[in-house]
Amino acid sequence: MRIGIDVGGTHTDAVLMDGLTVVCSYKALTTRDVRQGIIEALDAVLTDAGVEPAAIEAVMIGTTHFTNAVIERKELSETAIIRACLPTGSGLPPMVDWPKDIAEVVGNHSYMVSGGHLFNGKPIAEINDVEIDKVIADIAAKNVNDIAVSAAFSPANAEHEIIISKKVREKIPNANISLSHEIGRLGILERENAALLNASLGNLADRVVSNMRIALEERQIDCPFYISQNDGTLMSADYIARYPALTFSSGPTNSLRGAAILSGIDNATVVDIGGTTSDVGVLADGFPRESNSHINVGGVRTNFRMPDILTIGLGGGSLVRDSGISIGPQSVGHRLVREGLVFGGDTLTTTDIAVANGSCEVGDKDRISQLDRDEVETATQTIHNIIDDAIDKMRPSEEPVPIILVGGGAILISRQLKTASQLIQPEYAEVANAIGAAIAQVGGEVEYIVSYSEIKRETALKKITEEAELKAISAGADESTLRVLDVEETTMSYMDDDAARLRIKVVGDLKLV
Amino acid sequence: MKTIGAEHIKDLCAGAAFLATGGGGDPYVSQLQAERLLKKYGPATLMLPEDVPDDFFVVSLGMVGAPTVTLEQLPTEEEAIGALNKYEEVTGKKIDAIVPFEVGGGNSTIPLYVAAMKGLPCIDGDGMGRALPEAQMMTFSIYGAHPTPAVVMDSFNNFVVLNCEDAHKFEVEIRAQAVKMGGMVSSAEHGMSGSLVRRSTIPGTISFATQIGNLMRMHGGLIDVIQPELFEFFGQSDYGIIKHLFTGKVLDSYREIIGGYDVGTAELQSFDDPDKKMLLYIKNEYLVARVGEKIVASVPDLICIVEQETSRPLNAERMRYGQRVSVFGIGCTHHYRSPEALKVTEPRAFGFDLDYVPLEEID
Repeated sequence: MRIGIDVGGTHTDAVLMDGLTVVCSYKALTTRDVRQGIIEALDAVLTDAGVEPAAIEAVMIGTTHFTNAVIERKELSETAIIRACLPTGSGLPPMVDWPKDIAEVVGNHSYMVSGGHLFNGKPIAEINDVEIDKVIADIAAKNVNDIAVSAAFSPANAEHEIIISKKVREKIPNANISLSHEIGRLGILERENAALLNASLGNLADRVVSNMRIALEERQIDCPFYISQNDGTLMSADYIARYPALTFSSGPTNSLRGAAILSGIDNATVVDIGGTTSDVGVLADGFPRESNSHINVGGVRTNFRMPDILTIGLGGGSLVRDSGISIGPQSVGHRLVREGLVFGGDTLTTTDIAVANGSCEVGDKDRISQLDRDEVETATQTIHNIIDDAIDKMRPSEEPVPIILVGGGAILISRQLKTASQLIQPEYAEVANAIGAAIAQVGGEVEYIVSYSEIKRETALKKITEEAELKAISAGADESTLRVLDVEETTMSYMDDDAARLRIKVVGDLKLV
Repeated sequence: MKTIGAEHIKDLCAGAAFLATGGGGDPYVSQLQAERLLKKYGPATLMLPEDVPDDFFVVSLGMVGAPTVTLEQLPTEEEAIGALNKYEEVTGKKIDAIVPFEVGGGNSTIPLYVAAMKGLPCIDGDGMGRALPEAQMMTFSIYGAHPTPAVVMDSFNNFVVLNCEDAHKFEVEIRAQAVKMGGMVSSAEHGMSGSLVRRSTIPGTISFATQIGNLMRMHGGLIDVIQPELFEFFGQSDYGIIKHLFTGKVLDSYREIIGGYDVGTAELQSFDDPDKKMLLYIKNEYLVARVGEKIVASVPDLICIVEQETSRPLNAERMRYGQRVSVFGIGCTHHYRSPEALKVTEPRAFGFDLDYVPLEEID
């Protein structure tokens, strides 16, 4: 059996799962102390199910801790960046486009050195030992321990990043080093930003992971534990200390993946209705559709793989005004349980409307018996229209699509939606995030620029797929369940030798031993 | 005379991406570089072609190669200005002003910051009024300028001087050089007298792109909302006509490299009628748009595509299944309507077996 835990900004959800079956679930407010919150969640599900800790084969945790740290500029370490690019590239030094406040927190320790490669894999310049040693000595003198390394075209040739990291390791043995080619894709500015954020989260990641580990040890749970990442795949807990930035968008991803498992539907649009907002995302073959554009995390431009999510201001606590014509984006949020009419408060919310129109039973129904029937009807329609419009923006075509409703606010939807071919509100929908974490897969991704005049396309595809498979296996995937999740091929215009960028991601079920 | 500073660059880049008709590459790197250098050296002075004195010597400046390379091999401060300085050294001629190749992608901003660095005016105009894939398609050579001598420089300050018989041969040579020199080179070329600039440059395009970009950026959101204003802008410009051609989603996008260019097609499906489909033919840029059997727009007229929900221009290399887009046809300026211009830019010049029908004559 596995336990999935989702530590959100407001709520911590947990589920105990036997295969794909939910045995029991738990939901509570998130505690400030990570260790305490996880212990409470573990105790709740283990006691509820009457299961011994020894029966747990894996624990999967989703967390928004690292995203929030970047957004709030809290708990980030001072971090140095060494970019190998000279003599090219000096016009746009590292962190050139960072917001001032976060650049100051991270410390503006930016260095450029000779090195990096051209598009064809040939070096721009060789690494200069004297130059690099001086940079490392300077970083050591500043007592900066978290270090990001980037190099031009490192996704095609990582040699120089690796040489630099070895040299750093020699001089600063306990350095926390992030190499850009392991984190981002082509686009050195965005990839290097990703490596910088990742390195600056290193200390925090150590603390969070060790707190998670202590929590499990205290409850005698002696099994591997994993952290879920942006694309719905898992990292082993040892990886999280090295790649915390890869968790940035795991919350919405887990809710999408959880919805797929709960409903048994792999191609659908998922609406996750919370207290203040709703997230609309699209499932394609069981995985979230990815965003096409660059993603800003706390104002820093990155090129992480992230799900394409539309967030709208409608939730279970949204205010209802103008006789039901106008709803949200203002919300009473988690104060719903005090301020909503049915809970004894005096604010008309969407939850009160859902009780009044009979779609759910919470709180005291008598308190809304005086509501105007037309107002209830209008508000009900407005809620459905808002959700319909959001789905319409996200769905892949004009065809009605299956809609899966999850999240605590799913009770708002009681009628047919114009955009929906079918409407599914699965059991346990309120803990879809934790379920998504529990069933996440593991993956491996490899990206190269290839020249089809030098290597045949089929050969290139095969070679890169094999490399991605090896990566997935080393991340913990069961070899027999591997499948290619994504092949992205971008031709490079204006080039004479049939150059293309090929990126392949392979995923598989987590191997349990 | 107008000036253009760092604060205008976001708008210029957005507008230039629209006029790039699917080509031009990701404009972010050149946007950052331009913002940084215009802050450091101050705004660039813009000079309309009509104000260029006869005795001026004007050189065209920009980059040639694979835009993807600029994502990794970031520019230095010196490389673009290096090509220009070397041009002066090699030819012994003093340059009085710089004119952009094209108002599309990064090539719209390079001449501006180099002008600011050199303290020279930048011509408010360009040699395409859009982006097109090949050198001989520039109005400079169509109206009598010779592309060479040209100085081609890589980011290591290696340079090559090209002397070619005509613009077609120049295109072949400079592309081969770009591949040899790391995938992307700066080029100073098409040296012109003031009178040649006045005759061959499409005027006002830098200011115009900045206005269009401002409109799209400030309003954001659904393209339908800004469409009336967009139509008014183009209606009053040298482009003259703009038409909404299609709204729908991308069904398929396929490209392969043939002869050093991105060549391919994309298929769109109408929201209103699933049987109504648009087929786009691509060679780096969107060249021909067909609905059913009917050609609804073709080169040298512009085919511009934006994401419907954000109004953001969509590059051909980013086109993917499922995207919801609006397609616009825009008339080319009169510079491309002459027989000598059409000869190198009409559909037949790209190997399509069809005649150019001006946008305004298609109903």
